[in-house]
Amino acid sequence: MVVVEIPIGPQHPALHEPIMLRVRTEGEDVVEVSVNTGYNHRGIEKLMEKNSWVRGAYIAGRVCGICNAVHMQTYIQGVEKLMGVEPLPRANYIRTVVMELERIHSHMLISAVMAEIVGFDTLFMLIMRDRERVMYLKELVAGSRVHADIHTIGGVKRDIDEVRRDRMLSELKKVEERLKYYKNVYENDYTIAKRLIEVGVISKSDALRMSVVGPTLRGSGIKSDVRFEDPYAAYSEIPFNVVVRDKGDSWTRMMVRLEEALESVNIIRYALEKMPQGPAIPKTIPRSAKPGEVVSRVEAPRGELVYYIVSTGGSNPYRVKIRTPSFLNILNTTSVYLGHRLADVPIIFASYDPCISCTERAVVIDEKTGGRTYMSLRELARVKAL
Amino acid sequence: MNISLAGVRFEEVSPRRFIATVSKHELRKVVEAVVAEDSYLSNITAVDLPRDGKIVLNYVFWSIKLRAAVIVKVPVDKNDPMVPSISDIVGGAVGSEIEVYDLMGVVFQGNRELKRGFLAPEDVVARGIYPLRKDSGV
Repeated sequence: MVVVEIPIGPQHPALHEPIMLRVRTEGEDVVEVSVNTGYNHRGIEKLMEKNSWVRGAYIAGRVCGICNAVHMQTYIQGVEKLMGVEPLPRANYIRTVVMELERIHSHMLISAVMAEIVGFDTLFMLIMRDRERVMYLKELVAGSRVHADIHTIGGVKRDIDEVRRDRMLSELKKVEERLKYYKNVYENDYTIAKRLIEVGVISKSDALRMSVVGPTLRGSGIKSDVRFEDPYAAYSEIPFNVVVRDKGDSWTRMMVRLEEALESVNIIRYALEKMPQGPAIPKTIPRSAKPGEVVSRVEAPRGELVYYIVSTGGSNPYRVKIRTPSFLNILNTTSVYLGHRLADVPIIFASYDPCISCTERAVVIDEKTGGRTYMSLRELARVKAL
Repeated sequence: MNISLAGVRFEEVSPRRFIATVSKHELRKVVEAVVAEDSYLSNITAVDLPRDGKIVLNYVFWSIKLRAAVIVKVPVDKNDPMVPSISDIVGGAVGSEIEVYDLMGVVFQGNRELKRGFLAPEDVVARGIYPLRKDSGV
C-alpha cells in the first residue's frame, strides 16, 4: 500500500501559530502524524532577560495578538509578587473585564474558523461580523481593538467612566443575544453535528496523561480552570460557573467554548456593575525586584498559561520561561488523529484552537525503495489508482 | 503547610505552590508519586547558573487533587547535563523535554524524539550553541 505524506502548514494568512503537520495516510486513513515547529521562534525569552521589568510587559503583550492581555496579566502578576506590590482593587476588576472580552472574541474566532473548515461559510461571516462588537467593547475599555496594553505594574493605565460603562452594558446585551444564537446553531445544525461529533475523542484519563489544558481538558470531563482553582485578578470575588462536558470530541470542545463565552458575558456584567470605587492607575511604578522565583498562572482562552520568572534582584529578570497552552495542546495530541480520515485532520486540529493550512504539494513515498516524488494536489487527485 | 510525596518533603513557599529539590536519581520515583495526585505536567523550566556550574530543571506540575502547583527542582552538572527522561511516565513531557534540549542542551536519557532545530533557528544549531545558556553569546 502506498503511504502518502501530506505536509499541512506552515504558512497561512490566518495562522497565529505557524506550525506544520506531516500527515501520513494510507488511502484516506491517517496512519501517522508528526509536528514540525520552529517557524516563528522569536527568542522572546532571551529578549526579556535583556530588557527591564517594565519593558518586559510590552514584550509579553506581543507574544500573541489574540490573547495579549492574558500574557501581560501573567507576566505582571508574577512581577508584582517579586516586587511585593499589591494591585489596586479597581484595577483588578478592569483587568478582568479586558481578559474576559478577549476570551469572548477568541472563542468566537475559533467558532468562525471551525464553521469555515466544515464548509459553513455563512456562519463564518456572521460570527466574524458580530465579533467586531466585542472588539469595539475592547476599544471602549482599553482604547484599542486588538492590543489592550492596559496593564501596568500595580494597576492599569486607563480607568473606566460611567458613560463608557453604560455603553458597554448595553452593547453586551447584543453580544449575549448573538452568542446564544450561535450556541444554538452549533447545537442543532445537522452539518456541524455530522462533521464534529465523535471526531477526535480524548478520554478523561488520556487528557491528563497527555497534559492538555483549557477547553480541551474541560471537554474531556476534568474540572480544571485556573480562574477557579488558583484565582487571580478579581476572580475570587466574582461568581461564575466552570463549564465541564465529558464526551471529549471536537463538538464538545466547541460547545465548552461557546458556553464559556456566555459565562464571560456574565462575569463582565458583574465586574462592571460591582466595580469598587477608588484609584485604578498607580502613582509610581517600581523599577527593581527582590531575588526570588515565581510561577504565575492564568487561564488564557486556550487554557493554562504559565510564566516561570526568576529574579536575582536588580532591574532585569534573570530568566523568564513562557509556556503557552497551544504548546501542550498541539504537541501532545498527535495520537488523536490516528484512524481518522484525512478530511478530519483539520477539524481535530482546529478543535484545539489553532489554525491550519494546506500547501500545494504532497510527497508520495514508495515504501519499498524509500524514494520520494513531489506532486501537486491536482496531480495527486488523478492518481487515485496508485 | 508541607506535604510529603515518595518520602520527599515539599515545602509550601507561597499559597498553592509546593517546592522540593531532589537529585536526578530520585526524579522518576518522585514524578510517579506526583502524577498519582491527578497531576499534569505544566512545563519544564531550565535555569542556567554558570557561577555554580549547574543547570536547574524545574518540573512544574499542576495537581487537580491537591489544587496546587508541585514544583520538582533537579540540579544537573553543566559539564555533563544528563537526566533520565520522564516521558514514559507523563506522555506530555516529550515536547517540553525536546524544547529544553534544543535551547539549553540538557540530554534526557530515554527520550528518543530529542532533536536540534525544534525551536532554535538553523544558524544557531549549525554553530552548535544552546541559545538560552547565559554564556551562549546570543
